[in-house]
Amino acid sequence: MYTSAVVILGVGVTYAAVPLYRMFCSATGFAGTPTVLSTSSGRFDPSRLTPDTDARRIRVHFNADRAEALPWKFFPQQKYVDVLPGESSLAFYKARNESKKDVIGIATYNVTPDRVAPYFSKVECFCFEEQKLLAGEEVDMPLLFFIDKDIMDDPSCRGINDIVLSYTFFKARRNAHGHLEPDAEEDVVQKSLGFEGYEHSPRAETRKTEGSKAGG
Amino acid sequence: MSFGRPPSINVGFTTTPPDRGSFPLDHYGECSEQMKEYMECLKKNSSTSTHCRTFSKQYLECRMSKGLMERDEWHKLGLGDVEDATGTKS
Repeated sequence: MYTSAVVILGVGVTYAAVPLYRMFCSATGFAGTPTVLSTSSGRFDPSRLTPDTDARRIRVHFNADRAEALPWKFFPQQKYVDVLPGESSLAFYKARNESKKDVIGIATYNVTPDRVAPYFSKVECFCFEEQKLLAGEEVDMPLLFFIDKDIMDDPSCRGINDIVLSYTFFKARRNAHGHLEPDAEEDVVQKSLGFEGYEHSPRAETRKTEGSKAGG
Repeated sequence: MSFGRPPSINVGFTTTPPDRGSFPLDHYGECSEQMKEYMECLKKNSSTSTHCRTFSKQYLECRMSKGLMERDEWHKLGLGDVEDATGTKS
């Protein structure tokens, strides 16, 4: 009786594992997951956005990648910026559509080293929403970010003087629900998010189609 | 705002948009002048952002006035202590 209850509980926990893991990643910034929180949480409170002038400067390097299927030239306009914790800074990337057709792109990003991710906050950027470039068009893409002052209190971040912010642009396609998603293999996209070392459960869309194929 | 966002607590639980979302594209290069000034400043100051915050402010001001960004108060964007080009603090 008790063993069956324990077995059922164990099975239930394995079902919950994926959303729990994702919640864990977003809360702790594990594997370089940049944390995205609403303004009501106080993370972007104006008091967090004042520079800590006594702190050391941290150099933020900019990296840009693009999927081969995307006929764009995408690169950062500055190699790095030296910022103080709490100081909001602007950075620019440039993208040029080198094909003869209008292309919609969608970008993902990741921050390394992983332990810095909870402190790296972006006020506004150009990621995750579709960006349509007309044929031959070149456009500047800005990003406003800051490194939270609490990084100075974190002992594991003591030796960190360099951070790499990496953007990857993919061609966008519409999935079965009509939402835009990167037009690339799942493992390539997960790699751009910093999750290449981890196993993934199949996505809901692929699970459903495989289920109907097997059953039908 | 669909795929591409890193997994967060909100995914699958709420549909709140991200804090300020994404910058609309500046298709006509309306704020390119301010951007160039900012980049020049970075080059001169060996990429130290503190000295170039005035130019950041000017760039964002350009975006707001051209409708390429929602108008917001400067202290919410972390630029409240930066002087304007005219020398007045906002």
